[in-house]
Amino acid sequence: MAASRKAGLSGCSFIIFSKTARSNLQQRLRSTSTRFHSSDSGDGQPPKFMPPPKPVIVDKTQAEATQRRFLSPEFIPPRQRTNPIKFVIERKDMIQRRKVLNIPEFYAGSILAVNVADPYANGKTNRFVGICTQRSGKGLGATFVLRNIIDGQGVEICYELYNPQIHQIEVLKLEKRLDDNLMYLRDALPEYCTIDFNMKPVPHPANGEVPVNQLKVKMKPKPWSKRWERPKFKIQGIRFELTLSEEKMEEAKKWDQPWLEFDMLKEYDTSKIEKQTWEEVQREMSK
Amino acid sequence: MAAWSCRLFRLGGSMIRGSHIAGKSTAGERAPCVLFVRSVKSSTWWDEHLSEENSEFLRKLVPEEYKSQTASKLCPLKDEPWPREAWQSGSRRVGLIALKLGMMPIWTKTGEKHVVTMLQVQDCHVLKYTPKEEHDGISAALVVGAKNVSPFHRTEDSMEMFRNAGVPPKQKITFFKVSDNAIIKPGTPLYAAHFRPGQYVDVTAKTIGKGFQGVMKRYGFKGQPASHGQTKTHRRPGASGPGGDPARVFPGKKMPGKMGNVYDTAHGLKVWRVNTKFNIIYVNGSVPGHRNCLVKVRDTVLPSHLEKNLNPPFPTYFADGDEELPEDLYDAEMFQFTEPSVTYT
Repeated sequence: MAASRKAGLSGCSFIIFSKTARSNLQQRLRSTSTRFHSSDSGDGQPPKFMPPPKPVIVDKTQAEATQRRFLSPEFIPPRQRTNPIKFVIERKDMIQRRKVLNIPEFYAGSILAVNVADPYANGKTNRFVGICTQRSGKGLGATFVLRNIIDGQGVEICYELYNPQIHQIEVLKLEKRLDDNLMYLRDALPEYCTIDFNMKPVPHPANGEVPVNQLKVKMKPKPWSKRWERPKFKIQGIRFELTLSEEKMEEAKKWDQPWLEFDMLKEYDTSKIEKQTWEEVQREMSK
Repeated sequence: MAAWSCRLFRLGGSMIRGSHIAGKSTAGERAPCVLFVRSVKSSTWWDEHLSEENSEFLRKLVPEEYKSQTASKLCPLKDEPWPREAWQSGSRRVGLIALKLGMMPIWTKTGEKHVVTMLQVQDCHVLKYTPKEEHDGISAALVVGAKNVSPFHRTEDSMEMFRNAGVPPKQKITFFKVSDNAIIKPGTPLYAAHFRPGQYVDVTAKTIGKGFQGVMKRYGFKGQPASHGQTKTHRRPGASGPGGDPARVFPGKKMPGKMGNVYDTAHGLKVWRVNTKFNIIYVNGSVPGHRNCLVKVRDTVLPSHLEKNLNPPFPTYFADGDEELPEDLYDAEMFQFTEPSVTYT
């Protein structure tokens, strides 16, 4: 955390990608990538395409510039027949709140600590540390669920990102997991959800890819709260072979719906919307 | 009716001739079918008989005309704008027609969460004034319309009211009963600042149509158990009334039928915030109707909220008036996102 905050950008909630750094990078990339190796072919065949060598750029001069663009998922509007003005207005409110409270980048599987205002607590603030199990909701009602096991009791708290009672959201460990939704941790062994309240924040690299934790979780014996082996959940992060036999896995595949992947009516291409929203958010945040 | 007459005509023709009649048949060609002949009024669409250039020109001209009409604050009628009187208790003022955009959460300064519906006022104009004597003898009426539509798919008669007011044709028209000191000249635009935060409103709209529904969904009947010997009876209404004494089913008995698509009013909704730039009213709770439907908004009729509706902009908020409003008007209790986070002491 300390390393990324060197430049003192306290108000930014995204990893800001400053224009000068990006343009320099693009120029350097352009110069290397357009050098195609033209081999003279003696046999009359077209020259075999040799991909250019990957440039290794180390930006030591600019510590604050990172190459990771992260747009919080609640900015992307759902696919509905709503007037776009509604999302524009909501985004304005969200950005206003983000200028006051820094909402950092995090994913399902990261470990967060949240300080909330609580009228019934000593000192009137409450701190909770947990692993983020899911992020849901769009717009101002976006939420995230933190899970921890305290004195043997599993506790899940659902926090609203834009609730004014939240004083601070801190990312103690930034990482991704194999799935977006970690609800199955409820049926996993408790060791995977116990997080120390006084855990020290792990400094995460400000640039590059977010580390993906390839951990596969061991489960408690069945029955589980949901049948996680069924293909509709698309879970990659459970070690099924320890609790389920081969026949059970084969039987679970009966509920597979492979045609859903090719259903054109369910397609929602968000690339353009993401780009526009990203630019709009960057513009508003820098004001 | 033209289609109906054509069909009869064709039937008669085929019965007589025994052959299939192709294409549009004109009247008077076949002697035995004279009985069915009438001057064929074939229905057509607005640019069927126009050349491409003309229809393109009309398509460009009409929106520009309407833009200039809406841009002018008061419509160019011969007489002066009507006098604006002060608010007195007991006077009723106009309402608005707004478009339901969607819903979003809102927090108060103490940290409680409420949900609000966003209603956008799009091109709302006063169309007609009917004085007390002509309307019903009790109160005057003002007809208000909202949301411009294209004139090409409307009849000339319906366009008459819009032409008199000097305003583009509207999708939804309602009338509001108004006291005599609150009458407004036809053609005046109405804005969202007509309502202020802290006021209470009633919102009327057509509910979402659910089609033909059974008694459990329509009226919340409990139905019958799923098992324990029930034969083919799980969602039925059961008994339909008392026995031999009335020996009939009372009119108005709750039975399956078409549900939804009727006008319904939500009363006593608080206005939390008004955005004057986009003309959006944030109204507490939910409102009948689907997204992007036009709703009728007016001051509350409930007596318990009358003291909160004191001194509203009367007869309405005029954009060319003296008061300069900020872009967003918030209720006193509402948490604005520019403030620091809520703390308890």
